[in-house]
Amino acid sequence: MQIELGHYLSLSAIVFGIGAVGFLVRRNVLVQLMSIELMLNSVNLMLVAFNRYMPDNHAGQLFAFFVIAIAAAEAAVGLAIVISMFRLRKTVHSDRADTLRH
Amino acid sequence: MTASLTGSMASWVPLMPLLLVAIGGFALLVVDALSDEHAELATLSSVVLFCAGALAAVLATGKGLVPPPSGVAPYLAVGQMSQFWNATICCGAGLSALLAGGYLHEHALERGEFYALIVFSAFGAMVLAAATDLLSIFIGLETMSLGVYSMVAYRRGSPRAAEGGLKYFLLGSFAAAVLLFGSALIYGATGHTDLAGIGQSVRDGHANLRLLILGMLMLLSGLTFKVSAVPFHMWTPDAYEGAVTPATTFMSVVVKTAAFAVLLRVILTCFSDELSASLRTGWPGMLAPMAAATMILGNFAAARQANVKRMLAYSSIAHAGYILVGVVTLYSGDEQVRQTAVSGVMFYLLAYTVSNVLAFGSLIALGSYAKEAVSYEDLAGAGRRHPLAALPFVLGVLSLMGFPPTAGFLGKWYVFSAAIASGNDLLWLVIVGVLSSVVGAYYYLRVIVYLFMKSPEPGAAIAVPMRSGYVVLALVLSGYFVLKMGVTPAPYIDLALSAASKLG
Repeated sequence: MQIELGHYLSLSAIVFGIGAVGFLVRRNVLVQLMSIELMLNSVNLMLVAFNRYMPDNHAGQLFAFFVIAIAAAEAAVGLAIVISMFRLRKTVHSDRADTLRH
Repeated sequence: MTASLTGSMASWVPLMPLLLVAIGGFALLVVDALSDEHAELATLSSVVLFCAGALAAVLATGKGLVPPPSGVAPYLAVGQMSQFWNATICCGAGLSALLAGGYLHEHALERGEFYALIVFSAFGAMVLAAATDLLSIFIGLETMSLGVYSMVAYRRGSPRAAEGGLKYFLLGSFAAAVLLFGSALIYGATGHTDLAGIGQSVRDGHANLRLLILGMLMLLSGLTFKVSAVPFHMWTPDAYEGAVTPATTFMSVVVKTAAFAVLLRVILTCFSDELSASLRTGWPGMLAPMAAATMILGNFAAARQANVKRMLAYSSIAHAGYILVGVVTLYSGDEQVRQTAVSGVMFYLLAYTVSNVLAFGSLIALGSYAKEAVSYEDLAGAGRRHPLAALPFVLGVLSLMGFPPTAGFLGKWYVFSAAIASGNDLLWLVIVGVLSSVVGAYYYLRVIVYLFMKSPEPGAAIAVPMRSGYVVLALVLSGYFVLKMGVTPAPYIDLALSAASKLG
């Protein structure tokens, strides 16, 4: 079987969907962070796949490198906030964060 | 040889506001590590931001504006429009830094990194506002947001801060991922990541329409999240309430300005062709109902709040709705109307920046250590006890309400009149806007009623105003601009118009 652009796109969309559903359904902040990583990586896959079929320049691959770097920075800030919340509330469940109400 | 050298040096001038802020941020980190006095960091950071802002304001007039070095052009636009955004962003960030100088000292929260976060976030916001490539949009957005997430969660011992920061971070990263997926789809549909190339490909009809429409919707959703438009506003009240007040000020003015700047640029350069800018088939069909919902929900929810900070959070949602009316007006095929709308949005954001700094700054000024003013009850009678501290609050809420002759009134006037000039299709949106701002008058005037006509409950804790030169300076500066832009708007609106005609 020949692997075509459509296959890559379908895979990428499925991974993005798993990430999005995981983010919305799960209440453990760490799992939500992992879901966001899944979503970002599905984008990387798609960028590189598009670039493979549009080889005029390297815009897609270049983009993917930046996404990887920024995902790392995002995880660092996110984990810092999670630790700060865990110290105060002894929980990593986002639905237990309910002090702020209107 | 010398001529070409000076020529290449001169080409860096349009980038100076950005470079100044970036270098200033690193300098702040070094100074923070070497000294143990924090007060000077507030001075240093606001001086850096105001210098960059003043330089950008001069460049925004077009004087001394030369083409930037060749490598910059595909990623950043540094023309008059970008310089106008730079000036607005630096003004908002510099005033927030001044407020932080007073607030953090008073509440014993002073740590040097806050100022570095403000400066680096402002840098991200400037990159975002100048971005002309999907890549630089994403980098600018994340540079700005990562700093703001940290600022929201800055107060370490407070569960509310951690919670506000966590909610903002989770939803913000989700929105960034959606925006990124949209960017990748647009790249796939057109083969370009630069906005000009995307726009060309869309106009020529070369783009894969299915991928493009999906990508456009996801990109616009990610951006409207940042301006806190309904239905992507859920994080706003919590993050605004949990954050320390200077960080709230920063979020409400700088983040909103940068996000609207990039929204305008994306729409104008990529999606201004007939198909995607049509009220029925394109983005206006998504943004127009969004603007209406944002104005209605923001105003009605703000009227129900007992906490002034939360009220101002919902009021910032409502303002996002008014500005969105200006953005929707870009659907018009008439170049004149489009330029009026863009300049109206630019003026509105500058006016909103100074008015909101005034309102949040007065809220800061009316509280002191362990006696922070947060609810309406805390404000009761404060105007009669401390008239000088309450006066800027009155001016701030009047401007946010849109009362003449303040800057806020003219902002609304320009945006709504551009929408009316575009034809009858947006008349309903303007009517919704005017009616919902009548609801807005209720909760803004309530602040004044509490300040001057109520007395505190017997035995209730009474907020005492703080004494801080930084806060006074921020209030005087923003109050001056609120009145100046309201009384003599001509220089500002002319500047915005000439910048809007260039789109650079």
